[in-house]
Amino acid sequence: MDTQKPIVMTTKQVVPEGKKSFRISKEGRFIFLCLLPAILFVSVFTYYPLVRGIIMSFQNYTLFDLMNIQFIGLDNFVNVLTSPDFPRVAMNSFYWVFFSLVFQLLFGFMLALLMRKKFRGRGIYQAFVFFPWAMSGFLIGLIWRWMFNAQFGVINDLLLKTGLIDAPISFLADGTWAMAAVIIANIWYGVAFFAIMILAALQSIPEELYEAAAMDGAGRIQQFWRVTLPYIMPTMLVTILLRVIWILNFPDIIYAMTNGAPAGSTHIFATYMIDKVIFGQDYGQASAVGVIIVLILMLFTIFYVKATKVEKGGDF
Amino acid sequence: MGFRSWISVALQLTMATALLVGCSQPAATPDSASPSGANGVTLKMVESITSPQRTALLKEMLAQFEAKNPGIKVDLISPPFEGADQKITQMLMAKEELDVLEVREFNAKQFSMNGFIENLKPYTEKWKNYDQLTDVAKRRATWVDKAPYYIPNGLYQRVLYYRTDWFKEAGIEVPKTWDELLVAAKKLTDPTKNRYGYSFRGGATGWDYALITMWAYNGTEVDADSAFFMKDGRTLFSTPQSLEAMQYYKQLYKEGSPKDSVSWGFQEMVQGFVAGSTAMLIQDPDVIDGAKEKMQEGTWATAPIPIGPSGVAQQVVGGPGWGMTSYSKHKEEAWKLIEFLSDPEQSTHFAKKTSTIPVVKSAAEDEFYKTGYFQPFIEMSQQPTKFLDVSRPVDYKGWGAWQSTADKDIQSFLLDQLTAEDLLKKWDQYWTKEKAERK
Repeated sequence: MDTQKPIVMTTKQVVPEGKKSFRISKEGRFIFLCLLPAILFVSVFTYYPLVRGIIMSFQNYTLFDLMNIQFIGLDNFVNVLTSPDFPRVAMNSFYWVFFSLVFQLLFGFMLALLMRKKFRGRGIYQAFVFFPWAMSGFLIGLIWRWMFNAQFGVINDLLLKTGLIDAPISFLADGTWAMAAVIIANIWYGVAFFAIMILAALQSIPEELYEAAAMDGAGRIQQFWRVTLPYIMPTMLVTILLRVIWILNFPDIIYAMTNGAPAGSTHIFATYMIDKVIFGQDYGQASAVGVIIVLILMLFTIFYVKATKVEKGGDF
Repeated sequence: MGFRSWISVALQLTMATALLVGCSQPAATPDSASPSGANGVTLKMVESITSPQRTALLKEMLAQFEAKNPGIKVDLISPPFEGADQKITQMLMAKEELDVLEVREFNAKQFSMNGFIENLKPYTEKWKNYDQLTDVAKRRATWVDKAPYYIPNGLYQRVLYYRTDWFKEAGIEVPKTWDELLVAAKKLTDPTKNRYGYSFRGGATGWDYALITMWAYNGTEVDADSAFFMKDGRTLFSTPQSLEAMQYYKQLYKEGSPKDSVSWGFQEMVQGFVAGSTAMLIQDPDVIDGAKEKMQEGTWATAPIPIGPSGVAQQVVGGPGWGMTSYSKHKEEAWKLIEFLSDPEQSTHFAKKTSTIPVVKSAAEDEFYKTGYFQPFIEMSQQPTKFLDVSRPVDYKGWGAWQSTADKDIQSFLLDQLTAEDLLKKWDQYWTKEKAERK
């Protein structure tokens, strides 16, 4: 074979027949450049830590010995999943999300319905309802921690003064009470978000729909089931999805109120993960817990989207 | 599932992962982008035990340093106290520009082992004030590998705080032993009046209080250099004295302390005492200022911590201090700053203002420490064979993992979900294994 012979390729060989060369239009390039900062931002602050976290979950990444980091396979996952704490943490996470969500939705809905009507002092009332959402979760946790304190807490004081109890209840010294206490604090915090979202959706319902329904003979209850609920459903479904993700990833209140105590009875995945970092100094196991949270959320989201067929992003 | 649904799922997951991974605190920024000194040297310094007052004091001292050293500017970084040590660790791991840092006794080993901090021996050898440091301060400075990796800036040593008025009313003496403390606590407890004898710590790092009881029961047989072990090599948790101590500890909780103190941390303990709910508290000197503010003069006092049946009492005297990064580009200037802050005069001033025990010998002669609430600290320091300073096994690989479960174990024990025998057996097995793996 003559290696000196130049290789000449025809246009047909370079671009196969039937396929066009990939060219980005001027407009496309402009859009891409506009999006570039956002892409970079998301890559650096979302995907890099995610990928790093996944890598760390397979490493013996402890602060004690950063000079000797190696891949250890699934050891971190095995340690976390076989830990005697894991079943309780999983159950607590379920209770934490389920009860917080149900009561936040219920109370949020009720408040939104109330606030929809115009009445004297509605602005003040709305501000009062919404202000917990403006506070930091950690601060809320600290406030409720003192409120539930058996010696100095206002809750025991009120219960004693109204004669409902004879002796102070040590809310944060008992596992069941403590779990209920952190959920109550979280409900108080999250009601505002549901109220805001549902109120926004309610206010976007055209009055004509109610007028038409009334003309067709629908009463108040029927109007609620046939007009209000279907109209705000997309917003509610998306809000529920968002809240599940946020609540599961929300350690602030528990961390400030109980720090997982007593005896680990209020740990959820997110606080358990922090515990592994702060006290255990074990970033590997903490990352494994983080990956487990992402997997749970992924499964939940797929199931939820499939079950509810959410295709509309809501009216916000 | 349609394309839009997949997009929706992808977006939700992006949000979920963003929330999951984006919960770390924002990076601490220097207080100001101050210009470099005349010689172009700007030192970056980070403190760990931050509070508005402490930071203001430090800035005042740094201004004096800058005035004395016109060629050097110092940028102070003060991360929020909660998470400050994690922030410092992250800065070190990322090799962020940093010259002087506050090192804590529990992370000194980790920092030195990872090559983050400089061995200061070449500097201390030439430093005339090194011998001015008290024995405890020198032990903290040389915590790791017997080499000075940092110069302590104040000692956190515990004493007993007690209500003089309640004691007088009940006609009881200030307890000198743990047994006397239990008797006093029981006598002063009256739940109907919301009064309890002892401010118990069952919450975060409550294990430390269980340990001081165990140490006091085991006495001088405990290996002071690694106090989770006995001098004969067994673990602290394998002795009958430790079992006795844990039974005592539960009794103190059940019969002399508020029920919800099983989850009390520092804030609740102190609040219990200053708000008139508990009669006794064992804490660091930084409680003094708060108690002075909230309690009437003459209603409370301080005393040395109780000793055990062994006749001694041990504790880990906390001693944070100023260290230097191993990768600093301005080591001479960094040492100059450490030397300035650790000067006996500056150091005593800092200790007084931050309500800590001074690290220099000369402070014992200071009226401020010789009388009043600080006096028991000096009294204890002058009896080193009775009040022993011991070390925790922070240089063991399993230290972190143990800490992560110790509070939970203690709480399970206090709430009758775990027996003292099982608790000690668990810890004994853990530390026996740790020791074996280390060899």
